[in-house]
Amino acid sequence: MAVLAQHDLQITRRRVQPKPARDEVWQRGLIVVIIAYLFFGLVMPLAMVFTKSLQTYAFYPEQVTIAFQMPDGSHAEPRSLQDWLDDSGAEANDGLRASERTRIQIVRIIPKNARADVESFRVTDLSADGGQLLIDGVPSEAGQSYDVPRAQLGKVQVRPQVSYGLGNYGYYFSQPSLFNSILNSFIIAMIVVVIVVPLAFGYAYGIMRTRMRGKAFFRLAATVPVLVPSLLPAIGLIYLFGNQGILTPLLMGQSIYGPIGIVMASVFFTFPHAMIIMIVALSTSDQRLYEASEVLGASKWRTFWVVTIPGARYGLISAAFVVFTLVLTDFGVPKVVGGDFNMLALDIYKQVIGQQNFQVGAVVSMVLLVPAVVAFAVDRIVSRRQVAIMSAKAVPFQPEHNPRLDSAMLILCSVVAVFILGILAMCQFAALARFWPYNLTPGLSHYDFSKVDGGGWGAYFNSLKLAVLVSTIGAAIVFLGANMVEKARGFQIGRTILQFLSMMPMAIPGMVLGLAYIFFFNDPANPLHFLYGTMAILVINTSIHLWTVSHLTASTALKQMDKEFEAVAMSLKQPFWRMLSRVSAPVCLPAISEIWLYYFVNAMTTVSAVVFLYSPQTQLASIAVLNMDDAGDIAPAAAMGMMIFYTNALVRILYSLATGRLMGRLQAWRHR
Amino acid sequence: MSSDSYLQVKNVTKEFGDFTALRDVSLDVEKGEFVCFLGPSGCGKTTLLRAIAGLDIQTMGTIIQDGRDISDLPPSERDFGIVFQSYALFPNLTVANNVGFGLIGSGKSRAQINAQVQALLKQVGLPEQGNKYPSQLSGGQQQRVALARALATEPNLLLLDEPLSALDAKVRVHLRGQLKELQRSLGLTTIMVTHDQEEALNLADRIVVLSQGRIEQVGTPIEIYAQPANAFVADFVGEMNFIDARKIDNGHISIGEIRLAAEAAHLNGSDRVIAAIRPEDVQVQSAEATPNNFDVDVRHIEFCGAYLRATLGDRRLGDVSFRADLSMNLVRRLQVHQGGRLTIAMPPERLRVYPAN
Ligand SMILES: Nc1ncnc2c1ncn2[C@@H]1O[C@H](COP(=O)(O)OP(=O)(O)OP(=O)(O)O)[C@@H](O)[C@H]1O
Ligand SMILES: [Mg+2]
Repeated sequence: MAVLAQHDLQITRRRVQPKPARDEVWQRGLIVVIIAYLFFGLVMPLAMVFTKSLQTYAFYPEQVTIAFQMPDGSHAEPRSLQDWLDDSGAEANDGLRASERTRIQIVRIIPKNARADVESFRVTDLSADGGQLLIDGVPSEAGQSYDVPRAQLGKVQVRPQVSYGLGNYGYYFSQPSLFNSILNSFIIAMIVVVIVVPLAFGYAYGIMRTRMRGKAFFRLAATVPVLVPSLLPAIGLIYLFGNQGILTPLLMGQSIYGPIGIVMASVFFTFPHAMIIMIVALSTSDQRLYEASEVLGASKWRTFWVVTIPGARYGLISAAFVVFTLVLTDFGVPKVVGGDFNMLALDIYKQVIGQQNFQVGAVVSMVLLVPAVVAFAVDRIVSRRQVAIMSAKAVPFQPEHNPRLDSAMLILCSVVAVFILGILAMCQFAALARFWPYNLTPGLSHYDFSKVDGGGWGAYFNSLKLAVLVSTIGAAIVFLGANMVEKARGFQIGRTILQFLSMMPMAIPGMVLGLAYIFFFNDPANPLHFLYGTMAILVINTSIHLWTVSHLTASTALKQMDKEFEAVAMSLKQPFWRMLSRVSAPVCLPAISEIWLYYFVNAMTTVSAVVFLYSPQTQLASIAVLNMDDAGDIAPAAAMGMMIFYTNALVRILYSLATGRLMGRLQAWRHR
Repeated sequence: MSSDSYLQVKNVTKEFGDFTALRDVSLDVEKGEFVCFLGPSGCGKTTLLRAIAGLDIQTMGTIIQDGRDISDLPPSERDFGIVFQSYALFPNLTVANNVGFGLIGSGKSRAQINAQVQALLKQVGLPEQGNKYPSQLSGGQQQRVALARALATEPNLLLLDEPLSALDAKVRVHLRGQLKELQRSLGLTTIMVTHDQEEALNLADRIVVLSQGRIEQVGTPIEIYAQPANAFVADFVGEMNFIDARKIDNGHISIGEIRLAAEAAHLNGSDRVIAAIRPEDVQVQSAEATPNNFDVDVRHIEFCGAYLRATLGDRRLGDVSFRADLSMNLVRRLQVHQGGRLTIAMPPERLRVYPAN
């Protein structure tokens, strides 16, 4: 008996290994699938950017020999290409850096007169790994000799070989034209922060803390810029302040092309982001603090500095970092209005699209990642604090009548609204004017995109298709993923990884992600290569690019649900998908539709990531704006930009109606 | 207890990282029994309940239900219904759909489900409320919907985590009666977590008193109240006077100069002990005829509604005082008043002795 008890004890001392439920196998499978989606759509491509940035290419002419076969059939002594180069005093690795795709033709190394009466050539690759030569496109094998008839010699190329190191970084920092962009980008971003953050604070202050009139209008006006690509304000500025602009004299001889234009357009497109953050920050303030301050006899001015500003400080910090990153990572604005003023994000584009120099593009990407990741980290820390403030039981602030303040704020808000709506109106006007600036009669000719490059109406419909696909697929996957992270039982590792991967995209600038996709998907050896150039890759890229904000929206909504719902469902033997479809998804419908809208609007306007990935079959409206502008067809570019605006505005209005009416019916349970 | 109890918890330990929330807890629950887990906040009641449900599986130990080892099974493969303090009603589903949620996919027809839901709603006293949403119901009604939902799948074990504590006092007492009634009529084995001792004493067939992740005592409400196994239970359940004393021999202790008969054989040595007696057990009526009687000063009298609480003490007791609850009637009859003298008795069978900490 005692022995038995001992035995019993042994058994009970063992750690219990919980068994997964039947539906949890599916749940875990789904987590793994979503992790894989983010792994192949984010982690692997990014890893490629890093690898590429470490790759340098160089020619090794001493590894290739060439022997002439004379008309009599005898072979001359083989000579290495290096010997030939020495003869002419040329160098294979001269100032122009070799990249992956650089080739040297043998016929350019061996002078024509030296090979005048040669019948054929025997080329030999002496290297240990082979691949020094491309013979009619086929890489040579190590130690192998190839006989090439005289007429074919033109098809023999020397190929550079890869090695790993920090050479590209050294090159980057030795080129003032490249690393000057860092300074340029930082200065411009700082200037925009200094302008936008106080302005957005004042604007939000007017809306939240005064009794000025037209608050609803101002709120709406300030969010207009999110509906258009950042290219559009730049185009508007050209019409306003360009060589033939209507307000050009106001610049007093300064050119809009360059820092001035970049700052103005950046203010336009970053303003709504800062304002929304400030509205949230100001909405959390506590009336009681103001009353206390008043009781203590503090002046209004002092109260403002002691209560209002500290209360909004996290919002201010967060807004500053968000704006800073947006400017730093945007390439649309400097592309259109930057002139020859270089910015970091634009450098990536120039290096890759212009010069096909992927390695340097990768280095710039790595440089750009640093501030983006720092800004992201700060934003996360700060927003966690902000939540802590919000959860305190606060009494909402009730603004008092203060005619002087109210009118001052009305003026401020009006100026900003006029700036925003003015630029947009200018674009509309330009899109309609027959022939700027000579014939201003309105017409729709610029909306006939068939006469210009860029993909025309096809591009617009592609964009529409992309937006619908991304928003629908994206909202579904993101919500599913967030649901698993928040609600799944066990499988802590999987959920932690998924949570981490879900936060990552926010720290990755669009340009970097786009470049990463080229590296990863355009590699013929990659089994996923077939996606390259398809709509699918655009959908994957965009859904991941915009993942984090969507994920946070979904998580917040899911966290607000009773945390015992899943426990109840399990006790009632209901699988997770029934819980998800009958309870979680319906309860979170407002958040899901918000995610849908966010995806839609941003898929319509995004340029930075997809600019590397579109193909002739998958041209997009936002890219068309870019390309038409590039080709000098500015009016059609403005017209296409306005098409994006109409579409987004319409969807936004439909969304408001839907959330107002339909949601009211579907969500009857919310009302008592 | 017999090894064929309906639910057997054996040596269950639960750790959250470095923190041990349950230490080697063992417990048997019989079929049809109503058991309450009682203890202060943070003692591990919910943790034990969730381990039984499989929601937070124990780190070590075994749980056997109805002869089946369920230690490592997920909740969906166990047999229980559960009601939480928040009720966790699905806000977007009507009351009827909430109750019928567990019946989806059970192979029953819609009509069968509807009939069953109606019957359940009737059983919990909400026959007309099926089409409302949870937010349109009062707290007490919501609680009953949650109960009906938990009963819908006809579980053999009902788990309740503070199901009544979100309600106001009147509703709570009313629902308490209903709950007990329902449990008895169904013969349903039930475990309820509460930190309200009155609720536990009132409802439970047996009470499990927990403290800091350990079981302090298991017993019927009367056992728990009348024979608390240790000072913690004595203090936690009901009112108790704790008086410093010394053990003289196995049958006697002394408080100051006063020698009292008390069962002290369970304590080793002869040193300091703690004597415990409930205020209502201090005997005044015919005290002279009862063992352990002595005279005391009435130092203070406090009016407490149905009774009066007197603070008593005496020079010979040393620097101690204790409380006694006296009925109005008695006070009037014996003319007890502040500053007077009174003869009281501490009946040996009511006087309990615990080791001094
Ligand atoms: N998930 C968890 N992680 C870490 N510690 C936990 C966790 N859940 C519970 N604990 C800790 O375990 C202890 C017991 O918690 P439990 O919820 O069981 O208490 P309780 O007795 O139900 O208390 P209450 O009456 O307040 O509900 C507490 O100290 C609690 O902080
Ligand atoms: Mg609890």
